[in-house]
Amino acid sequence: MKDNSDFITLKNITKYFPGTIANDHINFTLGRGEVLALFGENGAGKTTLMSILYGLYQPDEGEIFIEGKRVKIRSPHDAMKYGVGMIHQHFTLVPVHTVVENIILGTESAYLSNINIKKRVKKIKEIGKKYGLEVDPFAFVGQLPVGMQQRVEIIKALYRNAQILIMDEPTSVLTSQETEKLFHFIHDFKAKGHSVIFISHKLNEVMEIADRINVLRDGKIVGDVSRNEATESQLTKMMIGRDLMIPERNSTIFTNHKEMLKIENLTIVGDRKSKAVDDLSFNIKEGEIFGIAGVSGNGQEELAQAICGLRKVKSGHIILSDKEITNKNALSIIQQGVGYIPADRHKEGLVLDMSIEENLFLKNHSDSSFINYGFLNQNKIQQKAKTLMKNFEIKATSPTSKAMTLSGGNQQKVAVAREVNIGSKVLVAVQPTRGLDLGAIDYVHKTLLKEKKEGKAILLISTEFSEIMGLSDRIGVIYRGKLLKIISREDAKVDEIGLLMAGITEGQANEKK
Amino acid sequence: MKKNNRDESITVKSELYVKVEDNNFLLNFLPVFSVLFGLLLSGLMMLLLGHNPLIVYSNMLNYAFRDIYNIADIFAKATPLILTGLAFGFAFRASLFNIGAQGQFYIGAVLAVGFALKLSSFPMVLVLFICFTMSLVGGSLWAAFIGYVKARFNANEFLVSMMLTYVAIAVMNFLLGGLLKETKGEYPQTDVIPESGWLPSLIPHTRLHWGFVLALLVALIAYLILWKTSLGYKIRMVGFNRDAARYAGINVEKIFVIVFFISGAFAGIAGFTEVNGMQHMLIEHFNPLIGAEGIGIAILGGAHPLGIVLSAFLFGALKVGGNLVVQTSRIPASIIGITEGLVILSVIFSYFIRDKLIILRSKKKLVSKERKRL
Repeated sequence: MKDNSDFITLKNITKYFPGTIANDHINFTLGRGEVLALFGENGAGKTTLMSILYGLYQPDEGEIFIEGKRVKIRSPHDAMKYGVGMIHQHFTLVPVHTVVENIILGTESAYLSNINIKKRVKKIKEIGKKYGLEVDPFAFVGQLPVGMQQRVEIIKALYRNAQILIMDEPTSVLTSQETEKLFHFIHDFKAKGHSVIFISHKLNEVMEIADRINVLRDGKIVGDVSRNEATESQLTKMMIGRDLMIPERNSTIFTNHKEMLKIENLTIVGDRKSKAVDDLSFNIKEGEIFGIAGVSGNGQEELAQAICGLRKVKSGHIILSDKEITNKNALSIIQQGVGYIPADRHKEGLVLDMSIEENLFLKNHSDSSFINYGFLNQNKIQQKAKTLMKNFEIKATSPTSKAMTLSGGNQQKVAVAREVNIGSKVLVAVQPTRGLDLGAIDYVHKTLLKEKKEGKAILLISTEFSEIMGLSDRIGVIYRGKLLKIISREDAKVDEIGLLMAGITEGQANEKK
Repeated sequence: MKKNNRDESITVKSELYVKVEDNNFLLNFLPVFSVLFGLLLSGLMMLLLGHNPLIVYSNMLNYAFRDIYNIADIFAKATPLILTGLAFGFAFRASLFNIGAQGQFYIGAVLAVGFALKLSSFPMVLVLFICFTMSLVGGSLWAAFIGYVKARFNANEFLVSMMLTYVAIAVMNFLLGGLLKETKGEYPQTDVIPESGWLPSLIPHTRLHWGFVLALLVALIAYLILWKTSLGYKIRMVGFNRDAARYAGINVEKIFVIVFFISGAFAGIAGFTEVNGMQHMLIEHFNPLIGAEGIGIAILGGAHPLGIVLSAFLFGALKVGGNLVVQTSRIPASIIGITEGLVILSVIFSYFIRDKLIILRSKKKLVSKERKRL
């Protein structure tokens, strides 16, 4: 197990990106023969931190020590010199080259002389035997299955004598059998005194493979626990973070209300050609907030996009107050009164280079009441912007200043104001408070509750546990594209939902005991 | 846990999202400085050739503004450049690259000369109207194809628009060798078009014609489309943030086709103004750089119609003054091209510097803010 001397030490590593701090004074250590898991939400800063260790980024502050010596890692080449190898989430292979060509790429110093391929192949085969990573050296990488490609990536690192492997979400592309094989390899590798840094946001994998777990949130390490002491609910809590203050709300009776949005046996094929949403059904009534809890990447985004006409549905139905809207285009769904607050407001929700006014108008571009003979009615647009800015307390120097000049909270208010205005029937809110300060969070929550009172059906998708618990009338827990359970708020228990988020149903939990 | 740093931990990582609220005098006048810097660089080239750049430049200025004929010629030369500049600039607003204005220009020119030759018996207004319309539609459809393959097959518009230029050149050469070949049958060129197809001159005894006014009008229309219509609003949204546009229910693919259609119309009209206003015939290897110069002018003018018009004037002046300097001294003609190139390069470089400066500044601000907090 862990050696007394630390192999790698990171001290006060800080990395700024314009507008944000990706890593905030991070300290961590890695011992020899240790598997360390970096656990945290998407965007917590895990990959940035590892890219610094691998020399892809330079830290703005802080120091890296390897075997007690202070080092500068300026490039991946430097990193490999110190025995650090990285398996990226998206592979860095050349699909039209063979396995051996991919592996030796960049390690040969010959320019004109012939490369002795046989010798190289022999070394690759030796590595394969040593670690149980057999692969045909002359196969073309593009024709190999994904699990095999990952194996090539690993061999590539081992060929360069890596003693530390950084694996960035290595299982996200693998089947469960392939995952098992990968874990087998990690055990072997560890047994030989080497170390692994395992980046993941999947709780069960982290619990299975790691010796020690560091939890990252908002660019900071918020927990450093050994596997034996860690519990699933504790880790989930650390990852999710702060307790939220949820505004007072009236318990509403909506049993008599009519169904506003109905999802029936919905199946969506995701970008990786696998089922992102799998035979999922639920309904939302007027004046109800339906919360979907889950670790991100379990099909939430795909579900929201499908409802809003941004992603094609493979089978099943989406019904908006008795009207089928399955696979309708985004514009017609907007015009039927579905508002959508997307998770990434900068990428999907706002046009930062446009003015606040234009951003508030974003979804009215084809609304005939604002257009005369193709020309925009600027007065009316300004009027609308003024009203919305006043109603939603958007603080800005002027309605014509660019959206990028606003603070994060006010940017989100622009998106929320617009979607509330558009969504007369249904509001789909995905991570509506991500990255906001407490005041803005409170504001968004109040707005959602107000819209609920107005009788709108609200689908709240969030990884903020307390947000879901505080706002929802009913909670569905999503795992691998399936709703494992739908619980009404009164019956919801934190522990149960935490376990469900990790894919552990009641039956399985009992079995374990 | 500190809770007050939430607003800084936004999930954005892209360097594009930088606050640019503080406008700096120096940053705003960067294009002007970089034009001067480009002239300075080409001055050094002249020194290497053994010429005094001060004398060359003052001669250039003197020639360009010597008399009304030369001054008018500046604007006559600027006319097609405004149009091809608009062609690139308009598509650029949608983050699309139409580098095939040359080809669209040729298609416009071929149609203009063809109809002007065949319709000699028609009244002037009608001939001009038909030539104008045909060159516009020809350029549009030629370019719309680029937008279509981009929308349908996600083809690279850069490549397709460039390759289509070669097709257009081949079509033009084919017609100049056959259908449109002069009656003498000697050279690959057309007859001079009858005077009923000539754009009237704007100032008597100069080469400046009404096509110049047309180009200014087109620039105004481009401005109105982009900033006053709902179509332009959609185009700019697609240009700034394709994802957000899709989320807002815009058919992004349709916008691609429309943008190329309009962009091609601008380049096609340039064919009309050059044939009916300037050359009054079509010759092989006719204005071979007009598309490339349009790209430079659009970049120089910040892809804004007003900036494009002003940049085209600058290039017009360089051409008129430069040509006369070359004719009256021993300076090689290529020096004009070198000057144009260096001016554009230094402008592009200035944009790069500006972005770096802005990012650096925002980073500094963030770091100092963070220090204060700690």
